[in-house]
Amino acid sequence: MQNAKESILLKFLCYIFIPIMIFILAISIIDVSITSQYGEMEGPEEYIETEEFGREYLLTLIYNVRDIRRDKNRMQMDIESESTSETYEIASEITEETPYDNYNEIEDESYEYPVYYEVINYNNTRISQYINYIIIDKENGDMFTNIRSNNYPEEINKLKSEKKNWSYQDGNITTNINSINQESTKYMTSSTYSTDNFEGYEVYSNIDPNTLNYSNSLYVQQTVYNMFKGHENLPTYLIPLSAISIIIMIVYLIWATGHEKGKEGIQLNSIDKISYEIISIVIMFVIGMMMSFAIASVESQIPQRILMSVFLLCYLIGYACLAVWVSTTIRRLKAKQFIRSFLTYKICRWIKITIEKIFRKVTDKENANRKITIMYWGFVAISIILACTMWSGIGLLVLIAFWIWTYYKLLQYNKKVQKINEALRNIYEGNPNVKLNEEELEGTLKIMAKYINDIAGGFTNAIEQSLKSERLKTELITNVSHDIKTPLTSIINYVDLLKKEEINNAQIEQYIAVLDKKSQRLKKLIEDLVEASKVSSGNVKLNMEVINLKELLNQTIGEFEDKLDKKNLKIEMDLPNENVLIKADNRYLYRVIENVFSNISKYALEGSRVYIKLEKQKEEVYLEFKNISKDKLNISAEELMQRFVRGDKSRYTEGSGLGLSIAESLTELQGGKFKIDIDGDLFKVEIKWKEI
Amino acid sequence: MYNILVVDDDKEIVNAIEIYLSQEGYNIIKAYDGEEALEKLKENEIHLIILDIMMPNKDGIETLQEIRKDKTIPVIMLSAKSEDYDKISGLNTGADDYVTKPFNPLELIARVKSNIRRYVDFSHVNYTNGKSENQKEKLLKTGTLEMNDETKKVMVDGKEIKLTATEYNILKFLLENKGKVFSIEQIYENVWNEESYGAENIIAVHIRHIREKIEINPKDPKYLKVIWGIGYKVEDIK
Repeated sequence: MQNAKESILLKFLCYIFIPIMIFILAISIIDVSITSQYGEMEGPEEYIETEEFGREYLLTLIYNVRDIRRDKNRMQMDIESESTSETYEIASEITEETPYDNYNEIEDESYEYPVYYEVINYNNTRISQYINYIIIDKENGDMFTNIRSNNYPEEINKLKSEKKNWSYQDGNITTNINSINQESTKYMTSSTYSTDNFEGYEVYSNIDPNTLNYSNSLYVQQTVYNMFKGHENLPTYLIPLSAISIIIMIVYLIWATGHEKGKEGIQLNSIDKISYEIISIVIMFVIGMMMSFAIASVESQIPQRILMSVFLLCYLIGYACLAVWVSTTIRRLKAKQFIRSFLTYKICRWIKITIEKIFRKVTDKENANRKITIMYWGFVAISIILACTMWSGIGLLVLIAFWIWTYYKLLQYNKKVQKINEALRNIYEGNPNVKLNEEELEGTLKIMAKYINDIAGGFTNAIEQSLKSERLKTELITNVSHDIKTPLTSIINYVDLLKKEEINNAQIEQYIAVLDKKSQRLKKLIEDLVEASKVSSGNVKLNMEVINLKELLNQTIGEFEDKLDKKNLKIEMDLPNENVLIKADNRYLYRVIENVFSNISKYALEGSRVYIKLEKQKEEVYLEFKNISKDKLNISAEELMQRFVRGDKSRYTEGSGLGLSIAESLTELQGGKFKIDIDGDLFKVEIKWKEI
Repeated sequence: MYNILVVDDDKEIVNAIEIYLSQEGYNIIKAYDGEEALEKLKENEIHLIILDIMMPNKDGIETLQEIRKDKTIPVIMLSAKSEDYDKISGLNTGADDYVTKPFNPLELIARVKSNIRRYVDFSHVNYTNGKSENQKEKLLKTGTLEMNDETKKVMVDGKEIKLTATEYNILKFLLENKGKVFSIEQIYENVWNEESYGAENIIAVHIRHIREKIEINPKDPKYLKVIWGIGYKVEDIK
């Protein structure tokens, strides 16, 4: 199979045999159709008896009479117009010289009226040159003929009796041609063939069958017929045989074309590289020429001995062109190059690439000024060009459409700028989790987006880093605190054991009391330290639920009742009647309030009042603690809130100084606001929460 | 005479615990790492173990897993790790109690006593309760907290607690509805049978007093729990 596909010889043979087989098929079909139409075909004698000949014969005479009649009518009209107007003088002079277009007047003694001899015959019937005729105008006796003679009456007699003749006299036809005798012409209903055309004229004519060079198509038919003479049954076998072999060869060529020995895939030759339209037009033109040439040669008068060779030449050239065209089409299709090989396609592609190139050149420049300049003046130029065509109506529409399009593009551009703006705002507001899609943008915007993405990425990294280091710090503090706690346990325990011993030394007992107090404080300090670092790094799991702040306050006061009583502090409560609900983690919220109360119980002036106010303010819950500090507050509220900072005087008392810092961090973690206010000795804590 | 195994790699801490518990009449057996503890456990009859977590060779959690394979004796974890998840993982492994360092010696003693009572004495008290159904009806109980409404006696780990009349009524109300959370207002209305008005923090004070009496560590209560911002409840312990 592979060999058959690649065989050059086989393909060559196919290309040779296809036209031969087609030729055989064609002549076989022609022969079959001739035999079914005419039966046997002998020669010109038979041709004269065909209807085709008869019609042509009749038509030749009708045309001649028609021309004569036309010229005569025109001559009469000219004479009439000459008498009325002088402007046609020149035209009438010409008509006097040549009264009939096709005839010249000749001198003849044998006939009493003028004789006109045919010089030109415009009739396009094939047999007009073989017909001899004499036409007599009955009105004035003018004779029209193509016979040169000096005895015309004798000629008329000859025309009446000799050879194959046909004459018309006062509506009667005398003839020995059967197809156009009196009977046959009756059935020629069409006005073209009607004998009424001869009205007012006498017509005598004959034709010599032996000199008749009958029609080319008939000659072809005759030739074909002669080929098969004696083998009448041959076409019956040749038609299917040649048709099948043609189909097989065409299918083989379609299958095998493009494959060459030793090469993979479809091979294209130089013809296949020519643009498809061009080769199609050229080949169609040649084929068209050959076809019309062949048809014309059959129809026309060219000598019959060269007719066959001309016809064959046309056929072969036409076939070669068609074969080239079909095979190149198939190869292009097989190689999937069909559309690409169109010149139109190449032109379109070139235009597209060029436009893209120009567009890229305009838009991809980093130089924004240049870009805007090009775009702006481009807009102006296009507007002006379109404005010039405004009068046409369509031009105006296009101009408006162009403006709308430009507006739309500007809006789109602005949308992209807005996106970038939004990203920048996000970063500015401390939310660096921004990612712009660089692919969506172009030119300067793309570069801007890239920078923004880089900055945002940097911020995110920095934040992650700081969170990570904060977590590590918390972990470190937690681990270190474990290590501190173990020796501290021994210290506390042994101090406790010492306390239980009976020591009769007041000094030692006092020392032990100091040790006890400081070791307890160290314990508290470590616990608060771990807590503060955890809370401030957000390393806390919140379990948010609905909480009644009023209930929580009452519970906490219950817990601190002892300590407050001890300092003789009086609580003045101002609570709303209804419940105050907020969303928080109840354990951590308790820690906040506990720390505030703990702070109050430690640092409030003994015997003073503590004011607690809880109220609802526009979707917010406001909680306020006010107390009088027992020591002078020599520090600002901000400093007080910082970790490990306390008012100087209270540095040596119990507590770690982390309580308020923890309270603040915890409040903020749960979505509330915690604020300290110092006004002289008045110490105020404000807590705000969103109400639900 | 109960034998208590104290395990900690810090010798001073073990010694200090020995001093405290000896004073209470317990016999102390000492071990300084997990391996040693398991050996001592095989050699002696032990009634309670105090177990540190961070130790060389075998840490407290691994040791506890070994112990729990075949023994149910009470184990109190003693650790400097004070995070919630440390406590949870210790208790889930099978510890009965969890005390963080630095600890209050009195609290440790109380917890030791409580656990031993439950393990040794209390197990058959529970058993005898099943005998009388009448008695059982009047007995309000959660875990080892018992209230006999006939005798008006309140017992924790088999030890009698003295409560005032108000405290008794509040605890009784919460015990009757154990597991449910009540706000101060609800408690007041149910115990006093009248509208509460401005008396809220009195209840809170009473509750604190009850906690101080029935709980070993009132800040980390076992029976009477505070749900901050919502109310109070008595835990339902089977």
